[in-house]
Amino acid sequence: MKIEGTYTFPAPQARVWEVFNTPQHLQEALPGCEKLEEREPGKFDVYLKIGIAAVKGSYKGKMEIADAEPPHRTRLIGEGKGLPGFVKGEALIQLTPQDQKTLISYQGDVQVGGLLAGVGQRMIGGVAKMLLEQFFKNMEKILKPAG
Amino acid sequence: MADRRRIRVKVNGREVQGEVEPRKHLVDFLREDLELTGTHVGCEHGICGSCTVLLNGEPVRSCLMFAIQADGAEIMTVEGVAQGGKLHPLQEAFQEHHGLQCGFCTPGQLMTAYHFLKENPNPTEEEVRLAMSGVLCRCTGYKQVIDSVMAAAAKMRGK
Amino acid sequence: MKPCAFEYFTPATVPEAIGLLERYGEEAKVLAGGQSLIPMLNFRVARPKVLVDINQVKELDYIREEKDELVIGGLTRERSLEVSPLIQKKCPILAEAISYIGHLPIRTRGTMGGSLVHADPTAEIPVVISALEGTMKVVGPSGERLLRAEEFFVTYLTSALEPSEILVEVRIPTLPPNTGWSFMEFSRRHGDFGIVSVAALLFMGSQGRCQKASLALGGVAPSPLRAREAEKLLSGQVITAALIMEAGVLAAQATEPESDYHASAEYRRNLAKVFTQRSLQEAWNKIKGGK
Repeated sequence: MKIEGTYTFPAPQARVWEVFNTPQHLQEALPGCEKLEEREPGKFDVYLKIGIAAVKGSYKGKMEIADAEPPHRTRLIGEGKGLPGFVKGEALIQLTPQDQKTLISYQGDVQVGGLLAGVGQRMIGGVAKMLLEQFFKNMEKILKPAG
Repeated sequence: MADRRRIRVKVNGREVQGEVEPRKHLVDFLREDLELTGTHVGCEHGICGSCTVLLNGEPVRSCLMFAIQADGAEIMTVEGVAQGGKLHPLQEAFQEHHGLQCGFCTPGQLMTAYHFLKENPNPTEEEVRLAMSGVLCRCTGYKQVIDSVMAAAAKMRGK
Repeated sequence: MKPCAFEYFTPATVPEAIGLLERYGEEAKVLAGGQSLIPMLNFRVARPKVLVDINQVKELDYIREEKDELVIGGLTRERSLEVSPLIQKKCPILAEAISYIGHLPIRTRGTMGGSLVHADPTAEIPVVISALEGTMKVVGPSGERLLRAEEFFVTYLTSALEPSEILVEVRIPTLPPNTGWSFMEFSRRHGDFGIVSVAALLFMGSQGRCQKASLALGGVAPSPLRAREAEKLLSGQVITAALIMEAGVLAAQATEPESDYHASAEYRRNLAKVFTQRSLQEAWNKIKGGK
């Protein structure tokens, strides 16, 4: 499925870029992220436990930050597998300054397969959107100056 | 290491006892422990209807109940429809009007119809369609199922 | 498939059930009717380590009238509500909505409380309870609390219940005489999950004006959606065909549907408009017809 959207962060572009490229912050912000380990520069092992209500699953996967053009755009490639199924996706992320804020726009493709995708087909689009929103909200919390 | 519990149920008028893991479905208890293989397992999520049985006189999906939840209940399966070796008018009608081909959904059709005609002995065709819509059939195209139920209803009213 | 193994308890009282939920925390799941949970267990997309089966808590199965409210226990079976003379007379929109739930065998086991807590975005009971502005009583280790419909449904499959809480009771208003009501659902086959549903209530005031309108939609958002702009349009007005058409347009504008296998977002938006219009028309016809 295609995913695309925007989110505005109340922080300057350089700071947003920095936070997005800090593994520790990514781990804090990714919903259900239990572990994020950088294997090689830009390549990570990810352990996620995500889901909704009773439908939770553990996923082990890889994430890669590619074609980075700081601080304007980057590509995120990821894939994960778990008991409930698999996830595979790629997104292009662009940062644009707007006064003291930064507009992030993302465009990508996500494939979800396995049991969860089949059984949960009628909700998976909405839930994915929700998890993404959660990620951005968490990032926003990290970017907000203390107080 | 499996946790097994004792249950007591009355199936087609006969008291039976069993020992089940809590996660054993009612349909699997009927098929495996009681060797009543008339009730069928189709989709295991409540949609196809071939697992339908009567629990205390009401239709339920036996794939969506654990056997342990039926402890103390009275169950009727398709094996209980014919009485004393004689086919029930519903079964005769299904035979005459070709209400079955492969027979997989037939237990669900029969139990659903059996209950329905008890509540509504003189239904319109529209009412039969609605009542029978909960059991999926890949063979008949449904027309023969509806015809069978209508014919059985007429027969049971003495026509 | 068959479920993963679980520990299984059958408490006989609410405090016993809550004690178990507290003890096992996130690893425990309440089993009521099981018509939504057991499929998830069978598919193994849910793998709770503990099931707390509350079907023995018989005290939670009741339908009562108290002054101008109907009080319904959390464990009341959907079929009981569907055929209850009290519900059919005093709150017929609930009985009508329930008749759309799957098929009879599902409604034989499925419960009012279970459907609400499961919070499927297309489920019928959450939509109608939203339109009725019902109140949910939940009980947990720290006691009792009341939740209004608008705060009860949080998002997909998520209610406002805390981990160790149980929904014990639902209160809904009895409909005043001469209230227009309608529940409509679109699905490809009878009994399928709804694609879009609408619950409409027209409460009449004096001089033939609609005093208050209540419109809730299912299948167009992560939880039941009240079409507030459409409701405002109708409140205090004499209902006309033109107003009904406009209300449908406003309702559709408020929706945020997703596309899936069964219907695209645009199709759902259109269904929201058309079914809101039809539903309001039906509710209005009931008032005109003096039913």
